[in-house]
Amino acid sequence: MGLLRPYIRKYGKPFAVAICFLMCEALADLLLPTIMSRIIDDGVANRDLDMVYRLGGLMLLVTAGGALAATMRNLIASRVSQRFGADLRRDLFRKIQSFSFPSLDKFERPSLMTRLTNDVTQIQNFVNGLMRIFVKAPLLCLGGLIMAVNLNPRLSVVLLVVVPIVALLIVLNMRVGFPLFARVQKSLDRINGTTREYLSGVRVVKAFNRYGQETEKFDSANQEYRKRSLAAARVMSVFSPSVMLTVNFGIAAIIWLGGRRVDAGHMQVGHIIAFIQYMTQILFSLLMISWVFNMFVRAKASAERIGEVFAENGAMERAPASAEETEGRAGRAGETAKIEFDRVSFAYPGGSGEPALREVSFVCRAGETVGIIGSTGSGKSTLISLIPRFYDSASGTIRVDGVDVRAMDPRRLRESIAVVPQQSILFTGTIEQNIRWGKEDASVAEIEQAARIAQAEEFILGLPDRYEARLGQRGVNLSGGQKQRLSIARALIRRPDILILDDSTSAVDTATESRIKEGLRKYAEGITCLIIAQRITSVIDADRIVVMDDGRVAGIGTHEELLRGCRSYQEIYRSQIGKEARADVPASS
Amino acid sequence: MSRQAPKPNAAPSELPPPRAGGFGPGAGHPGRRGAVVKPKNWKDTLRRLWSLFGKEKALLAFIFFMVIVDSVITLAGPYLIGRSIDSMAGGAGQVDFALLGIALATLIAAYATDGALTFAQGWLMAGVSQRIVMNLRRALFAKVQKLPLRFFDSRSQGDLMSRLTNDIDNVNTTVAQAVVQIMTGSISILGSLAMMLYLSPLLTLAALITVPAVFLLTRTIARKTGPLFKEQQARLGALNAHVEETISGIHIVKAFNREEKVIQEFETINEELCQVGTQAQIRSGFLMPIMNVIGNVGFAAIAITGAWLSVHGYITVGVIASFLSYSRQFVRPLNDLANTFNLLQSGVAGAERVFEVLDEEEEPADEPKAAVLTNPAGHVEFDRVSFGYLADVPILRDISFESPAGTSTALVGPTGAGKTTIVNLLTRFYDVTGGSIRIDGRDLRDYTLDSLRRSFGIVLQDTYLFSGTIAENIRYGKPEASDEEVRTAAVMANADPFIRRLPQGYGTLLSENGGNLSQGQRQLLAIARVFLAKPSILILDEATSSIDTRTELQIQDALLQVMKGRTSFIIAHRLNTIREADRIMVIDHGQIVEQGGHEELMARQGVYYRMFMNQFGQLEAAAGH
Repeated sequence: MGLLRPYIRKYGKPFAVAICFLMCEALADLLLPTIMSRIIDDGVANRDLDMVYRLGGLMLLVTAGGALAATMRNLIASRVSQRFGADLRRDLFRKIQSFSFPSLDKFERPSLMTRLTNDVTQIQNFVNGLMRIFVKAPLLCLGGLIMAVNLNPRLSVVLLVVVPIVALLIVLNMRVGFPLFARVQKSLDRINGTTREYLSGVRVVKAFNRYGQETEKFDSANQEYRKRSLAAARVMSVFSPSVMLTVNFGIAAIIWLGGRRVDAGHMQVGHIIAFIQYMTQILFSLLMISWVFNMFVRAKASAERIGEVFAENGAMERAPASAEETEGRAGRAGETAKIEFDRVSFAYPGGSGEPALREVSFVCRAGETVGIIGSTGSGKSTLISLIPRFYDSASGTIRVDGVDVRAMDPRRLRESIAVVPQQSILFTGTIEQNIRWGKEDASVAEIEQAARIAQAEEFILGLPDRYEARLGQRGVNLSGGQKQRLSIARALIRRPDILILDDSTSAVDTATESRIKEGLRKYAEGITCLIIAQRITSVIDADRIVVMDDGRVAGIGTHEELLRGCRSYQEIYRSQIGKEARADVPASS
Repeated sequence: MSRQAPKPNAAPSELPPPRAGGFGPGAGHPGRRGAVVKPKNWKDTLRRLWSLFGKEKALLAFIFFMVIVDSVITLAGPYLIGRSIDSMAGGAGQVDFALLGIALATLIAAYATDGALTFAQGWLMAGVSQRIVMNLRRALFAKVQKLPLRFFDSRSQGDLMSRLTNDIDNVNTTVAQAVVQIMTGSISILGSLAMMLYLSPLLTLAALITVPAVFLLTRTIARKTGPLFKEQQARLGALNAHVEETISGIHIVKAFNREEKVIQEFETINEELCQVGTQAQIRSGFLMPIMNVIGNVGFAAIAITGAWLSVHGYITVGVIASFLSYSRQFVRPLNDLANTFNLLQSGVAGAERVFEVLDEEEEPADEPKAAVLTNPAGHVEFDRVSFGYLADVPILRDISFESPAGTSTALVGPTGAGKTTIVNLLTRFYDVTGGSIRIDGRDLRDYTLDSLRRSFGIVLQDTYLFSGTIAENIRYGKPEASDEEVRTAAVMANADPFIRRLPQGYGTLLSENGGNLSQGQRQLLAIARVFLAKPSILILDEATSSIDTRTELQIQDALLQVMKGRTSFIIAHRLNTIREADRIMVIDHGQIVEQGGHEELMARQGVYYRMFMNQFGQLEAAAGH
C-alpha cells in the first residue's frame, strides 16, 4: 500500500492520536471484569459495603474515562477518514484527468469509475475501521489473555485449549470459506451479465424468438449461483455453532475447575465470573480479527487497483522543437500550411500491432476545407485524432502552422481546435451550459448564433424551457440528430482555427445537413475545416478530398480529379450514386 | 452467534450487525447504513411473500420452530451458570458438588442442544432460502420474457437490473436473516426479562435503569443521522453521476481543454460529500460508544446493587452472575432489532419492487383459436392502422397500404416520421390501437406470436450481439444450423473476409454486445444472422446505416438475393439503397404522403424528388446526368 504514503504523512498524527484514544477505550473495557471480581470477592464475601461502593465508583469512573476516550476517538476518526477518502478521491480524479489517450485506453472506462467510487470507499472504510475497531480487537484479545492469566494462571489452562481451537476454526473457515465466497461472487457476476445482456438485446431476442435459449442460459447461471451460495452458507452453518460450542464447553470447564479450586480454597467465586467474562471477550475479538482480515484483503485489492492508476505514467512529453522545425516554419511563412501530414504512420499502442495509418502525407492550407472519405476501418478517425495530439504518431511528423505538434503544449494546441466527435457526448446541465462548454465566456448572442448555424435553434425553441432546458445524463432526452447538432454548436462557438467534424451529421437528415453546411460556409470563413464523411455529398464541395483506404492515402484531389483518377473514389461514388453505375464495380472488390 | 450464554461484559460491542452468513465477503461495514427504502404495503407484500414460499412453507415453519426452541434453551444458560456459582458460594470446603454436577451437566446438555439446533437451522435455512431465491429469480426472468417491448422502452435498464439482482438478494436477506433475528431477538428480550424478574425484581429494576437511556439516545441519534445519511447518499449519487459522465466523455473533456473545470466541479461535490460524510460519521459513530457506555453503566449498576442485595442476603452471588448475562441478552437485541427492522424493511421493499414487475401486463396471450403461421406467402396489408406509444400522441394515423407477396417496400421519411413504428407494429412488438394489419388475409393477432415472429427476419438499426463466439451469434436465429451454413451466410453477408482475418476466426469470442468489433462489422454479423434464418418476410431497419457505402454495395447483391421471393420492408436514410424497391412510401407525420416506384416518384417531382435531389443532386449534376 505504498500509495498511502503521502496520506500517512498528512494524517499520521491525528491517526496515531485516535489509536491512542482507542487504546484507552480498550483498557477501560479490560479493567471492568477485574474490578467486578473484586467487588464480589472483597466486597460481597466480606460483607464490606464500603468496599463495594468504592469499587463501584471506580467502575463508573473507568467507564466514564472510556466514554471520553471513545468520544474523542470518534471525532478524530470520523474527520480523518472522511478527509482522507476525499483527498484520495480527488487525487485519483486529477490523475485520471491528466491521462493521455494511450494511457486511458489501458483502462476500461467502467473500471476507472469503480476505482474512483467503490475502491476509494473501500479503503476509506478500512481506514475508518482501523481507528474504530480493527486495532481494538487485537488489543482486547491480547489484553484479555493477559488479564485472565494474571487473574488466575491455573484456570488459564482452559484458555490454552479453547483459544487454539477457536483460532484453528477461524483459520479453517477463512481457508475454506473465502474461496467459496469468491466463487459465489463470480457466479453472481454471471447472472448479472446474462441479465444485462438480455435486457440490452431484448429486441433481438424477441425478433428471433429465442426465449428458450435465453432461459437456459439464465437457468444454468441461476443454478450455479444457488449451488455455490448453498455451499458457502453451509460452511458457515457449521462454523458458527462449532465456535460457540467450543467456547461454551470452555465455560463449563472453567466452572468445574473453578469449583474444585474454590473448594480447595485456592480461589474465590468472583474470579470465575470475571474469567468467564474475559473468555468471551477474547472469543469475540478473535472473531473480529478474522473479520478485520477479510476487510483488509478487500481493501488491499482496492488499493492495488487504485495504485495501478497512480502508477500509470502517460502524460505526453513535449519534444523540444528541433532547429529544422523552426527553420521550416520561417521558410513556409508565405503560404501557411495550416495542417501538414508528413509520412505519418501510427499503430494503436496495445492494439493488434497492425498500423492504423501508413505513411500518410497531405497538406491542408489555412482556410481550406478538406474532406476525408473512406470505408470503415480505413483510418479516418485515427488520422484526425493525431492532430489535437490525442495520440502521437509513431513516425513521420504532423505540423500545425509549420510546427511539429509534438513540440506543442497539448493544451495550447487543443485551444485552437474544435472537434465534433462521431458519437455526440453531452453532459448533464442545461442546453446553454452544454454549448458554453466550447467557450466559457460566450455571450447569449454567440450561443444563439452557434445554435442557429448548427440548425439546433429550431428544436431548442420548441422545448418548454428553450436554452434553459435541462439535459439528462449524456443528453438522454434528445434524439441522435439533436445531440449531434448541439455538439456541432458546442464546437462552433469556440471559433476555432481548425474545426474537425468526424462523421458528425450521420443522424441528421440530408436537408438539415445541407443547411448546416451552408451556415458553416459563411461562419467558418477563414477556419480550416476537416470533414470526415460517409456520404460523398457531404464533402463534394471541399477544396480537397483525401481518400483513405486501409490506412493509406488512396488519392487526394477535388471531386472531379478523384472521379477521373482515383479508383477507390470511383467505387465509393458508384456505390452512392445508385444503380446505373453498379455494373462497373468488380464483384471481387 | 448472537445470543449465547454469558456475553462478555465489555465485549467489542462494535461488532458488525450479526448476519446469519457470518464473516464472509459481503459483511457490511459497521455504522454505514444507506437510506432505507420503505415498503408501501407491508401486510400484502409479506402475505404474498409467504404464499410464494410454496412447498418450502412446512420446512420453513419447522425451522422457525427450531429457532424458538433454541432461543428458549439458550435462556437457560445464564441461570445454570448462576446456580453453579451458588453451589460454590460457601467458599473453601463448602462447595456443593452434587448441585454443581447437576447444574453443569444440564448446562452442557443445553449447550450441545443449542449447537445442534443452530447448526441444523443454519444448514436447512441455507437450502430453503437459496431455493426460494432461485425460484423467485427464475419466475422473474420468465416474467420478463413475457413482457411487451413497451415495458422495456419505458424503463431504465439500470432500474430493471437492480430489480432482477439486488432486490431479489434483499428478499433473501429478509427470509434468511431478518426474520430469524427478529424471532430470536424478541424471545431473548422477553425471556431475559422474565428470568430477571423471576430471579430478583429489585435487581431487575437496577439492570433496566439504563433502558430508557438506550431508547432515548438511539432515537435521538437515529433522528439526526437518518437525514444525514440520506444527504450523504444523495451527494454520493451526484459524485458518481459526475464521475460517470466525465470519465465516459473524457475524450471530449480533453478535446475542449476542460480538465481543470471538470476537476473543480468534482472538488466541489467531493468537498460537500466529505462535509456531510463527516457529520454523518460522527453522529452515527457515537452510537456504538454510547451503547458501550450504557452497557458498562448497567454492568456497574448490577454489580453495585447486586452486591448490596447480596450482602443483605436478598440474593445469592450466582444471581449476580446470571444477571450480568441476562441484562446483556436483554439490551443487545433491543439495539439490534432496530437494525434488523431496517433490513426487513429494505427486504420487503425489494420484494415489492420484484412483485411490481411480476404484476406487469404481459404480451397478450395467443387467442385460443390462433393459427400457426407456416411458410406464409407474405401478403401484408395495413388497413387504416393508427397507433401511438402514448395514448394522446398519435404516431401513425390511418395508414393503409398493401404489399403483395414477394414485393419489396421501402419506407423513407424524416426521423420520427413513424417508419420504425410500422416495423414495431408488423412484428407485434406493439399492438395497433386502431385498424388492423393482415398477413395472408388474416389479422396478425389471429396468429400465434411465436409463429408470427418466426416468419420475420429483422435487421435492426441497433444491432445487438451476444457474448459468445461469432458462429454462435450468426446461428442465433437458427441454432441447428451446420458450420457450413453459418459460413455460407457469412459469405453472403460479406462478413466472411473480416471474420477470417480474426485470430480465432468463427470461434472468436465476442465480449458483451460485440465490443471488440466495429459497428459496421457488427451489422454485417446481424445481416448474416438473418441470411441464415431464411425468413418469409424480411425487415431491414437502417440495416446498413453504419456500413460504408462501398461495403454496403458489396452486400447489396446478397441482400437482393435474400429479398428475392420474399416480402421485404426496407427503412433507409440513404436513398440509393432503396432505389430498386418495388414501391417506395414516403412517410411524414404518421401518414403516407407519397408512394410509387423510384422513377414514378422522381417524375412526379414531389417530396421524394426533393429528398433525392438534396442527397444526390450535386452528384448527379457532377456526373453529368
